[in-house]
Formats: sequence, structure tokens, C-alpha cells
Amino acid sequence: MSIEKFMQSAITGWMTGEGEYSDIVMATRVRLARNLRGYRFPIAASEDEALAVDKMAAGALLDEVDGKGYAYIRMSDLSKLDREVLVEKHLISPQLTNPERQGAVVLSEDETVSIMVNEEDHIRIQCIFPGLQLEEAYQQADAVDDLLEKQLPYAFDEQFGYLTSCPSNTGTGVRASVMMHLPALTITKQIKRIIPAITRLGIVVRGSYGEGSKALGNVYQVSNQVTLGKTEAEILEELGNVTARLIAHERQARKNLLEKSRTALEDRLHRSLGTLVYARLLPTGEAAKCLSDVRLGVDLGLIKDVDVSIMNELMIFMQPGFLQQYANAELTQEERDIFRAKLFRARLLIDGALPSTKKSKED
Amino acid sequence: MICEKCKERPASVVITKGYMGESIEHHLCEKCAFQSEAFHFSPNEEPLSIQQFLSHWFGGGDTFQTQPKRRGTTAHQLECPDCKLTFGNFLDIGKFGCATCYETFKERLPHVFGKLHNGQTTHTGKIPVSFNELYAIKRKIEEVRVKMQEAVEAERFEEAAELRDEARMLQQHLSNGGEAYNVD
Repeated sequence: MSIEKFMQSAITGWMTGEGEYSDIVMATRVRLARNLRGYRFPIAASEDEALAVDKMAAGALLDEVDGKGYAYIRMSDLSKLDREVLVEKHLISPQLTNPERQGAVVLSEDETVSIMVNEEDHIRIQCIFPGLQLEEAYQQADAVDDLLEKQLPYAFDEQFGYLTSCPSNTGTGVRASVMMHLPALTITKQIKRIIPAITRLGIVVRGSYGEGSKALGNVYQVSNQVTLGKTEAEILEELGNVTARLIAHERQARKNLLEKSRTALEDRLHRSLGTLVYARLLPTGEAAKCLSDVRLGVDLGLIKDVDVSIMNELMIFMQPGFLQQYANAELTQEERDIFRAKLFRARLLIDGALPSTKKSKED
Repeated sequence: MICEKCKERPASVVITKGYMGESIEHHLCEKCAFQSEAFHFSPNEEPLSIQQFLSHWFGGGDTFQTQPKRRGTTAHQLECPDCKLTFGNFLDIGKFGCATCYETFKERLPHVFGKLHNGQTTHTGKIPVSFNELYAIKRKIEEVRVKMQEAVEAERFEEAAELRDEARMLQQHLSNGGEAYNVD
């Protein structure tokens, strides 16, 4: 299979590079945590209990969402690699793949909706949209929640709201996250000052490649921390406000960089493009940094003829699961670095993502 | 890596135990971590490290302090009847085992939630429609009981008996609604 074809078949809705503010906001995700009354949470449940929850949830999910292009997938039916790919696409969490959990996922055809069963909570409804679409993502998640609630008895309390395994989700169970590409704030080191200020507003900023990770490729995940004592609308509004301010700061920083050190910036971004196109060994960290640079170059109009959606694709496909799935083999770290370089070269050069190189081939 | 305790399941939780000024790492599976009371926890998948946060706020401050010194209070030994999680264990792992934990630790939770949610302790967001129905029945029962009391005080016994039957019926309805969903 050609790389382009592989990527087309593996691409998921949120990677398209579309949506509002898509030059800075890559994707918006809203997750609702729900549990069933009368069953212990997955962390404490017996295998029988977990299976009973799965049966009940699957029944309700298939009744309510099947026929609209949803598929029910048990984690135990997937290969390790397939599970890894779902994690790398941000469609399921690493926790769901824990064999203790009897985990399953219900996925919509366009992969914008994924409903996890037996993750940290019995049910986690997740909607992921391209660009900044907080309202839209929440409305979609809320609609699925309403459908499920008709059939499933949720654990809910007058005082504490939706009862969840982790006290940090109690109340609304809503975690709304905006995946942002903030290279100029990172290059100018302003992000270090901004993060503590945002944290005081009850908003968390962290790396997007797995929780607790560094902001690989200058991609940050900005999400609400507080879920109790605020309505869903207030949570979304506050996150939306912080996101808007971050976008404004990033735009200003980009403008300043262009005005004050255009040549140095152009040099850095084009060197990164050169690395992506010609390197023979591409470790994850370097690939992520170079992708971030090229993306910035495209956004600023300094690098032409490269499609932003290809940058989004490559940010996902450079991860170990995808690489190994494409290679159709288990690879060591060095093999992965070689294969990653090959894949980038092919995608940017041979597959014609860079028209100028395509042209020179034709000449 | 395999869990050190059960030697069966994969280890997914890293526990750091302080001993004589040194910290020792233990790798446990989630189940063993849930049952264990002997350590502080740091599940590697938890970004905010809620359990460390809680331990710091409520457990006496020092992560490397040995457990017995800060245990022994009855509050820490409060145990959930459904999942057997103690309050002390909840502070260690930062997770509830079931919905009943909320009821069991009810008195102490506003304090915990206040720290985690910027001082907020009460839900103000979405309410499930089904819950609204149950809630409406509860309110109705309260109303009927007040009326019944008034009827008794006014010595309108026939009316009071009718109201008592109505309250019983509603109560029955309420418990059916709740129990219909329970596991056997």
C-alpha cells in the first residue's frame, strides 16, 4: 500500500486540519465520565461485575447508537498494535487497554465519537473535532449522554452530581480539552510564564502526547480542572476564554518573531523542512520539533506548497504504533527512527506533498 | 513488568516508599495497589497525581513519612461496605471504588472536593432526567408527609390514613425505581 493510501485509510476526522483557528488549535475534545448505579467502579470490580457492566452498556449503546455507523470493539479482540494505534489516534486512553478491565469501545464511523466501556469509569463518552469547536463537541457528547441515560441507571447524587472514580471528575464529569500548537510562545519562552497564570484560573496545560508528557512538538493540551460547582456551560466558556487569550498571545508572538528576527526564523524553519525531507534517522523528539517548525512555516506563509493536514497526519503517524502498523512488523527503536525518516521522505518528497520537488522529478 | 505482589498481572502503578531517608520503588498492578494500604501511590498514568495531592493535603504533609505514624485515627479507618475501601486508602490512591464510597465518606468529602475544585463542593450542572423523576417523587413524599402530620394534628384521621397510604405507595414506587436497576 502506498503511504498516501495508508494515511488516507487511517486518517480520522479531527486530523483534517480544518475547523476554526486551525492554524493554532489542532483539535477539540470533550469527555463525559459516567458510572452505573449498583456496580463497583472498574478499579474495584470483579471480572464478573466488569463483564456485567460491559453487557449492559453494550446493549444500551448498540440499541441507541447502532444503525448510525457505530461499531462495538472489545479490547481483547484487538491486537496489541491495533490497540496502540487507537491510543495514538486519541480515540481511546491507554487505561482502556488494561487487560484487567474488560474494556471495549463503541466508535462512530467517522471516529469523532468514541464511547469507552470499563475505562477508569464504567462509561466515558468522548467527542473529538478538528479545530476549535467546544460547543459542537459538547453538544455531540451531551446528545449521546441523553440517549444512554434513557436506558442506563447512572450513579448520580444530589450534592455531588455524577459520581466518578476519580474525585477530580466528580460533578459534571466533563473534561474539555483543546489541543494547541504554540511554537512561538515556546520559542520565546513566554509559555513558562503563562502556564502558572492559567493554572490559577482552574485550567490545566500539559503535553498532548500522553498525559504527563512534555509538550512534544510544541503541542499542548489545555483543559478544565474543576468539574464541581460549575455548570457545563460555565466550564466551556472559561476554557474558551483562556483558549482565545492563548491564541491571541501566540499570534502576537509569531508577529514579533517575524518582525524582529525574520531571517533567523526562516533559516530555522527551512532547516527543519530539510531535515524532514532528507534525514535518514529521525528520532521522535527531532521529528516532532521539525514538524512543529514546518507547520509554523506553513502558517506564516514562509514555507509554501506543504499542506497543513499533512503536518497533522505526520504528527500522528510518526508514533510507534502507527509506524509499526505501516511496516507491518515489530520494530526496534533504531529501526523505527530509520523507518520514520523513510516515511517522512516518501510522504513529503515522493508522494508529492512538495510540488516543487514533484516538478523537479518531472523535469 | 509483572506485579511484585501477585506476580501475575502487569504492573501499572509505581509506588514510592520512604525508608531511612531513601526511597524505594515498588511496581504493583492496579488491583494490588487498590488493596494495599502500606504505601503511597503514584500511578504512572495519572497526570495530576491526585493521590499525591490528597496525601499531601490530608495525610500529614510528608510523602515519605511512614504510614503508621499518620494512621490510627478512626476517620482513616472508615470503610465502604460495598468495595471495602477505607478513607485512608482513598487518600492514598485518590480513587473511589464505588458509588457507595461517596455515601460512606460523605462527611469528609466537601473538604476534599473544596481543595480539588477551587473551593466548590456542590454540583450545579446537568441532572439526568431519570434522576429528576426520582427526585420529584421524593419531594412529593415529603409534601404528603407534611400534610399527613397536619391532618393528624387537626384530628382528621381518615384523611391522615389516606395520606399515609399515598406516601407508602410513593415510597414503594421510589424503591422500585431505584432497585429495578440494581445488580441481583
